[in-house]
Amino acid sequence: MTTAMPAIETHGLSKTFGHTEALAPLDLSVPRGAVFALVGHNGAGKTTLIKLMLNILRPTHGGATILGRPTTTLTGKSFTHIGYVSENQELPDWMTVQAMMDYLRPFYPTWDEAHLLSDLDLPPDRKLKQLSRGMRMKAALASVLAFRPPLIIMDEPFSGLDPLVRDELIKALLDRMSDEYEDDPNGGLTILISSHDLAEVESFATHVAFLHQGKLLFAESLATLTARFREVIVTLDPAMTTSAFTPPITWLLPESTASVYRFIHTNAELDNFEQQVRALLPHATEIRSEPMTLRTIFLALAKSSQAQDRSRA
Amino acid sequence: MLPFRLTFRPGVPISDQVVYAATRAIVAGQLQPGEPFPSVRTLSRDLKINPNTAHKVITQLLNDGLLESRPGIGTVVAQLPRSTATQRTDLLGPQIEELVVEAKRLSIDLDDITAAITRHWKRLTTPPAGGSK
Repeated sequence: MTTAMPAIETHGLSKTFGHTEALAPLDLSVPRGAVFALVGHNGAGKTTLIKLMLNILRPTHGGATILGRPTTTLTGKSFTHIGYVSENQELPDWMTVQAMMDYLRPFYPTWDEAHLLSDLDLPPDRKLKQLSRGMRMKAALASVLAFRPPLIIMDEPFSGLDPLVRDELIKALLDRMSDEYEDDPNGGLTILISSHDLAEVESFATHVAFLHQGKLLFAESLATLTARFREVIVTLDPAMTTSAFTPPITWLLPESTASVYRFIHTNAELDNFEQQVRALLPHATEIRSEPMTLRTIFLALAKSSQAQDRSRA
Repeated sequence: MLPFRLTFRPGVPISDQVVYAATRAIVAGQLQPGEPFPSVRTLSRDLKINPNTAHKVITQLLNDGLLESRPGIGTVVAQLPRSTATQRTDLLGPQIEELVVEAKRLSIDLDDITAAITRHWKRLTTPPAGGSK
């Protein structure tokens, strides 16, 4: 096994604006070759985290490395290896799509724009200011894919786009991943995508991190995450119900009636799931569990985190 | 175009789901022996899955003997491989038993079970190769 250096690593990274803690100290590791999804609601701290990673903002405490370099030492030249596409990308509006590509080309030794504009269905002669929001995102992505960076960071690339454009963006991204895969199956194009709705990256992301109100709730591989979360419905023998049952902290959002107990299990052991639940609810007559989509997992975590905040207040 | 369709379900690894969909298409004759199988790139684009996952799918199908690599052509659908005695014993023993246990738990009749098996069997039976369509 190789212990390749992670593409991005943070240590106690935090950011405070005035008295507001935008990002609580955070440790995160994005492995090389990962498609790392950074999820959270609006205002959760996703953009702040990305800006810290790119040295657009300075950390209040802690630090981070990106492709092995401390983020605070990133210079213009570093950005020939890092592609950044943001929701509110500034583009040279007075230029045509082709003129922008021609302008950028000399800055990047690895530039290769073959087929990119036609694959993304972009009109080369159109001025950027005349493009729709979706077209602008495609132009921004084309300008990043063209220099073949080993790391691409995208901040909310799909928000407010119609499904057709989203599809084109995802296909362009997957195509690039296939290119890289053909060049070197163990190699490492790393992609970090932030989103408030993960449905569209769920099928190809390898890792996911969830930010909620400036705090990292978890960061792990998609496989382990979807394996440990289950929605559980337990049918109880009403004659034996104990009213004073306190669920363990790994059970979220418990709800119950006289004969049904329902909760989200965050640490399900699929091999002996029944025993695991029955150990705490011995009067269960039936235990049913359903796997959860990412969307329902995040919803459950966010709700549960809110409930905790309320009970603390 | 992909010769099979699928909608992903949560909780099951994506590669397993694609392997199953492809296996189903092969036994049902929607993919005939000798037909080219989609590349890593096509699987990735059309199913919106990671190329690594697509590669895993093809490796699994090659190991299962459902696909074979032909130099100069690429990956094609193989003749259905002969099953081993162990594979047959496993299916006819423990796996059928599991089905029977579930059926009895849900109070389903033996007749209903055999009828359902026959129905699925017919639906997935390969039309004779080269025959009229």
